Amino acid sequence: MLRYLVRRLLLLAPILFGVSLLIFFWIRALPGSPAESLLGERATPALVKAYQQHYGLNKPVYVQYWAYLKTTVQGDFGVSVASHRRVISEIKQRFPATIELALAAMLFAVFLGVPLGFVAAKRHGGLFDHLSLVASLIGISIPIFFLAIILKYIFAVRLAWLPSVGRISVLIDMKHPTNFYILDAIIERNWHALGDVLKHLILPGIALGSIPLAVVARITRAAVLDVQNEDYVRTARSKGLPPVIVDRRHVLRNALLPVSTIIGLQTGLLLSGAVLTETVFAYPGMGSWLRDAIFNRDYPVLQGGILFLALVFVVVNLIVDISYAIINPRIRYS
Amino acid sequence: MSVAELEAHEVALEAATGGLWRDAFRRLVRNPAAILGFALVAIFIVAAAFAPLLAPYAPKEQNLLLVARGCCPGPSHKHWLGVDQLGRDVYSRILYGARFSLIIGIVSVSIGLSVGLVLGSIAGYVGGFVDTLIMRCMDVMLAIPGLLFAIGIVAILNPGLYQIMIAIGVVNVPIFARLLRGSVLAQRENDFVLAARAVGVRRPVILFSHILPNAISPVIVQGTLAMATAIIDVAGLGFLGLGPQDPATPEWGTMLTDVNDYLQSAPFLAIVPGIAIVISVLGFNLIGDGLREALDPKLRGRVGRFRERKAFWFLGRRAASRA
Repeated sequence: MLRYLVRRLLLLAPILFGVSLLIFFWIRALPGSPAESLLGERATPALVKAYQQHYGLNKPVYVQYWAYLKTTVQGDFGVSVASHRRVISEIKQRFPATIELALAAMLFAVFLGVPLGFVAAKRHGGLFDHLSLVASLIGISIPIFFLAIILKYIFAVRLAWLPSVGRISVLIDMKHPTNFYILDAIIERNWHALGDVLKHLILPGIALGSIPLAVVARITRAAVLDVQNEDYVRTARSKGLPPVIVDRRHVLRNALLPVSTIIGLQTGLLLSGAVLTETVFAYPGMGSWLRDAIFNRDYPVLQGGILFLALVFVVVNLIVDISYAIINPRIRYS
Repeated sequence: MSVAELEAHEVALEAATGGLWRDAFRRLVRNPAAILGFALVAIFIVAAAFAPLLAPYAPKEQNLLLVARGCCPGPSHKHWLGVDQLGRDVYSRILYGARFSLIIGIVSVSIGLSVGLVLGSIAGYVGGFVDTLIMRCMDVMLAIPGLLFAIGIVAILNPGLYQIMIAIGVVNVPIFARLLRGSVLAQRENDFVLAARAVGVRRPVILFSHILPNAISPVIVQGTLAMATAIIDVAGLGFLGLGPQDPATPEWGTMLTDVNDYLQSAPFLAIVPGIAIVISVLGFNLIGDGLREALDPKLRGRVGRFRERKAFWFLGRRAASRA
């Protein structure tokens, strides 16, 4: 186990190195430069040159890459060209937003998906089972941004029950010690703000959660069907335990093992930022930030932000693999 | 029917009669979900192929008189699905839009499939350092969020139709490469490969005419499912304004870009292209799911459910990285 862990950790380095190379040269291949996109029509050759000088963009490419690598390893991602703020402090603000959204989506997916999958398995082959299959395929077939627009239309425009944009109402004034707005509201004991933040999470959470919902439901169903025929379940039944207890203690508990892996991996994927969902709901997370950075040619933001997301992605993958081995002692990595 | 009878019936159904493909076909046409999928895809293809014949108006034909009294008149007998903010017939635009989705889907999946196929089979067959090098590169590509990766490629090439095809194709490469590598590794140790090597068949010939044909069925399944994700990706990139740069182009995702301003007065402008996307994507997903079951007769009981789980997880992973 320890050897496996060390090997996997060692493998992270070349992957992240590769990502840094890919991002760096991709950014240099983008047409235009940060100077031109920032200065716009005022871009005289002299101004552009001064800009290039200021950001070190006139040095040879390998020198720039070396500088990027050196500062990045020290944990310094530089300063955003567009907002003039440190990339790291922008990440500190944006990533909690993405985490909150991902967790909201996963909560929705798990609390609806596990019961749905369980019932489908219990009624294996029945109408409900077939309907759930079709429903989960539809869930995967709906483009998220379309679902988001529809939800926005029904609940924000038509019924006006829920807010449609942002993380928190602009009228609420609150300090943000952690940038996790839910935590912030609890720390500040501002219950009005807490309700407002939660309301802002509902629609994007449902839209983003639709895919994990379909996946969790399908996998719960398959896992429950597997476990139901195990010897220990038959034993439990034959010794006369009430079906509810058998289901809860023996079937569900064992079936949730593969489901928990999927939940972990899906959460990891959602942490990569949800460009389209964030676009529809004007939600200030990682995805929309990086999308804007691509359009603005904001080199430091792209270099830092995408590398950060890649790091999150590989680390989550690793954690899921390891926790799988811890939960299920039958799995041995070598 | 007793249990024994039922089992006999199933055995009779499962009995091998005429090769993998014929059996697969028979299983496929017995699957109602797959038939529904074929029907949906057929609608999509007919719409794309015969758009000029079916559409009552030209896709870019504007009639501002229709929106003179505010946007936008809903469905009527002249305009079945209403008109958009510039007085263009939505029904005609949807039909023409099917062409873009279909062509972009086919081309981009072909790009991803062919490059992935070559890289994956080389990695699997040659092994060693080449394998490590190729697969680590694929890992790097997979570590970057899919949609951002595609946006990034389009940004290099400038927005447009061909650029979207290339971008989505490139994002699909690592998926096919991994799949092929796994398949080739599984086939490489088979006796027929050993036999071919023993009689002195050259290595490229072994790979391309002995191993690959046997490793192809998961590729067909993935290819179908990739068509589904490609259509969503196209729409997503179009929605972000990276699609065809002529805003009059009837691409489905692009049609959804402007609807925010008209949600209140004309929600059908959002609903219609959205449903068109869902129908075509659902069609390919249903066929892919049916093909997977049809090509894999072992797909009953435990092993089957394990594979189903794997396949669905894979599908979810791809969908989520494009959220």
